[in-house]
Amino acid sequence: MQKLSYLKPQTLKEALGYLKEYGEKVKPYAGGTDLMVQLREGSSRLKDVEYLMDVQALPELRGIEVREDSIRIGAMTSHTEVNESEVLRKHVPFLSIASSTVGSTQIRNKGTVGGNICNASPAADTLSPFVALNARLVVVSVDGEREVMVKDAMEKAGKLKLAPHEMVTSILIDRIDDYSTAFIKLGRRKALAISRMNAAVALKMENGVIAAARIAPGCVFSTPDRVEKAEALIVGKAPSAALFEEAGKAVSEEMIARTGIRWSTEYKKPVIEALIQRALCRAAGLPED
Amino acid sequence: MPLLGELKKNYKIVNHSVPRIDGIDKVTGRAHYAADLKFVDMVYGGCLRSGRSHAKVTRIDTEKAKAIPGVLAVVTADDMPKPKSCAGNAPYMYLTKEVKYAGDVVAIVCAETKALVDEALKAIEVEYEDLPGVYTIRDAIKPGAPAVHEQYPDNVFTDSIYPIRKGDVEKGFAEADLIIEREYETQYIEHSYIEPEAVVCIQNPADGVMTVHSSSQNPFFTRRYVADILGVGMHDVRVFQETLGGSFGGKEEGVGMLAARCAYLCRLVGRPVKMTFSREESFLESAKRHPFLLRYKVGVKKDGHIVAWEGTQIDNCGAYNNQTQFMNSRASIHSCGAYTIPNVKTDTYGVFTNNIHGGAMRGYSSPQLIWGQEQLIEEIAEELGMDPLEFRRINCLKDGTTNATGTVLDHVNMQEVMDYTAEKTDYQRKHEEYKHQTSTKKRKGIGIAIGHRGCGLGAESPDASGAMAIANEDGTVLINTGLAENGQGLKTAFAQIAAEAIGVPYEAIRFYGTDTQAIADSGMTVASRGTVMGSQSTRKVGYKLNEIMRANALALGFFKDQENVKSIEQIVLEDGFFHTTEKPDVKVAFKDVCNASLWTGRQMAAYEWYMPPACIQDHHTGQGVAFPNYAYGCVVAEIEVDMETGYVDVQKVTASHDVGTAVNPALVMGQIYGGILMGQGYATTEEVEVSNGKVRNQNFENYIVPTAADMPEMDVNIFECDDPRGTFGAKSIGEPATEVVGAAIANAIYNATGKRIRENPANLERVLLGKKLR
Repeated sequence: MQKLSYLKPQTLKEALGYLKEYGEKVKPYAGGTDLMVQLREGSSRLKDVEYLMDVQALPELRGIEVREDSIRIGAMTSHTEVNESEVLRKHVPFLSIASSTVGSTQIRNKGTVGGNICNASPAADTLSPFVALNARLVVVSVDGEREVMVKDAMEKAGKLKLAPHEMVTSILIDRIDDYSTAFIKLGRRKALAISRMNAAVALKMENGVIAAARIAPGCVFSTPDRVEKAEALIVGKAPSAALFEEAGKAVSEEMIARTGIRWSTEYKKPVIEALIQRALCRAAGLPED
Repeated sequence: MPLLGELKKNYKIVNHSVPRIDGIDKVTGRAHYAADLKFVDMVYGGCLRSGRSHAKVTRIDTEKAKAIPGVLAVVTADDMPKPKSCAGNAPYMYLTKEVKYAGDVVAIVCAETKALVDEALKAIEVEYEDLPGVYTIRDAIKPGAPAVHEQYPDNVFTDSIYPIRKGDVEKGFAEADLIIEREYETQYIEHSYIEPEAVVCIQNPADGVMTVHSSSQNPFFTRRYVADILGVGMHDVRVFQETLGGSFGGKEEGVGMLAARCAYLCRLVGRPVKMTFSREESFLESAKRHPFLLRYKVGVKKDGHIVAWEGTQIDNCGAYNNQTQFMNSRASIHSCGAYTIPNVKTDTYGVFTNNIHGGAMRGYSSPQLIWGQEQLIEEIAEELGMDPLEFRRINCLKDGTTNATGTVLDHVNMQEVMDYTAEKTDYQRKHEEYKHQTSTKKRKGIGIAIGHRGCGLGAESPDASGAMAIANEDGTVLINTGLAENGQGLKTAFAQIAAEAIGVPYEAIRFYGTDTQAIADSGMTVASRGTVMGSQSTRKVGYKLNEIMRANALALGFFKDQENVKSIEQIVLEDGFFHTTEKPDVKVAFKDVCNASLWTGRQMAAYEWYMPPACIQDHHTGQGVAFPNYAYGCVVAEIEVDMETGYVDVQKVTASHDVGTAVNPALVMGQIYGGILMGQGYATTEEVEVSNGKVRNQNFENYIVPTAADMPEMDVNIFECDDPRGTFGAKSIGEPATEVVGAAIANAIYNATGKRIRENPANLERVLLGKKLR
């Protein structure tokens, strides 16, 4: 394992100072549930890292705050905290459910939502609901603060489009109080499973018609995204299994349009269609089978 | 055919669920494992693995590694007088320049700290010339395939060929109304014990004895490797088995190799050395469950009688043979399942490939074979238009019928165990109902499978053992034998058996093994033989000590008040007290006789050897007696298949096993619960994925073992019988517990989906698409 120095800033200012000073040589870490594994594996993405910066002590990275039109979740909020948060369960239940499916109890206690996004794995369980919620990363540096859409934040698997001296302090999500949501994860087992694929959806119903829709499939694109074509397809229509089957097909078409036909497409195409249909049925209160 | 408790066995200690001896230590974390041990001046060792599947080392430079301060030794094959192991049955290399699989070791290092070991391993420069390799069974048997070993030009490991020739198979096929041919293939499986392999070696500077504390399944087996690498006598090696964190057949050769390298470094640097495997190393060097390619051709009559059974069972030995010949002996004996068939012709053999080696793993070929055979049986029944249960009833082993080796069997309760399980689970109704499901979302499935297993080692090697019992002056008793506690509860079962035979309370016994300088080798603790046959000597020595102590009680005058007591036949020792048959209420404490025996110089210890009746088979036909007896089991699996994702949810498993006598019913249940979960992983998620010899999954994030959340509801039914051959009537359970489960799940998947999975495991992709993705 590589030899690293350990930094533990007590204030955000101190942390940003380290980032400015060491740039790519410093890696901020929250729960370490991905980072420690990567270090043990000798991952090439960490080859230039000399300092680990433990951001646990920074108060700016904590807390869940419900604002008028958004919710702010501190980057250091653990999956367990997200799952157990009464306000998140009320406002964004599918995010709460997604958090409960991450790894194991121990991983959920240590792992954070900020880390889950910043690790930039397309298979991250919370990524789909965050993308469906139009999540923005609050990115800070000594130069100031900016917001980046989560769906635009990833350059490729394993790499965020952040400057070396920037770090994420919190995540802002839309308030979608009048939507009903669903998250479905397909893993190879019932716990400690990586998403083979997943689906996060949110539907706003008005007079028996879908007024607005958000559809975010997981593990199908190289960087996460909503599928607007599928959303447009169902908006203005009454929910039905047949309609949602069409939405599933629109998602798989989009997957193939973006990633091409791969060795795994034969499996992923029918399955993502089914997961999207099921998630939409669940959100709309329709039977799933 | 009685369930547990229905047959009055009248044992006082055996047949009761006494608490396991090491249970509290394990659940409280108090137990010490080999990797927990620390010694003054202890240093660390490590291995450099090639990572190549087939290659020649053209240059190896250790100078930079040696120059690192704190690095004590760097050893390559050129530095070692005898890098080839002659210890076991496999031509393993402690160190090699001719790399034959990705786990082969090209250098070992010893340094002050673990971090320095890693640094030194990285500093070793190696250049390789890659060679063409052969990786799959199908490729290995193709004419002109590259030879893994020069002496086996067609890759067939000749010592592992085991034929069965019973009756006349051609005549059988001529009589058949229907002939069906099928092929099944199984995967590499990792044992997945929680504790990776660990060894600490310490050499006594005065007498040179090398002491090894190890995570060995078989300490005497480990001793051979250590003596071999050091070139010393076995009396100069002392192996202590530490508490094992699981083994399942996996800590045999692998730990031998590790202990040997560690002992070599220990002698070289003159300090205690610890070597532990990382999980990745454990995946790379520990033996795996052999993959089998199973090809069967079966002839049946319209009335459902199987008249001919032909089979070719080929297993993948990997780069080095690892017990393949013994494995194949068992595989040949069980090559036509739990059925009586007049004409059988099967050939079983192993082939070498440039892969990790197959080896012993819970079942020893049976999970593979039964997975294929029990699907085949259902495929035949379907072709015949016959109910699969009825088809099994017609053909399954019964009293007076013969198995594949031509042995006439007795105490066979196969059909009863099966019928009971089918009835209890409402199998027939559900099976019929589920066939007609049309849902494209979720479907239920129910599957049944049966199995029989030869108890102990049988004709493979003598199932002999020795045991020692020592009474102390306070009435406590020490016992020891060469068999080992591997987590299965052997020490508990042996203490029960000893207490029962001697006539003292369970709490009076301590089993102090296993130290190779304290007792004779009793053969390996394998083949589900420990309690069944391995404890025969413990029972025997218990009876012997009982007799000795009764004689002492008589000679010391403890019954002098009862004038007509002249013979030890009139004295009974039970529950820690002596009494006479005439006056059972007058008791003499065992401890008082022990104390008096000590001070009068009387014998109060014994050693006994047990040699079972011989099992003799003809090697060319496989005919003869292969095992003293067989255990019978039946499993019903109930599942739900997600037809849109291929996910198999195993919801309930009902397992019924004939255990002869349940020596400790709670431990039997434990064996079966664990066996079910292992069988579930085998059938649904577990697969060591090898691609041109490279192991893709080397840790548990992508080698998918079922978790507690995946565990189905379990219903266990224990059957007993009065077959007297095993110790106190016990039959094997460790391996039967897992061997049938996978087949039951595979049959349930077919019941739900109408699709046969002939390549294990039935993971998401295979269930949905009927094939592996890549």
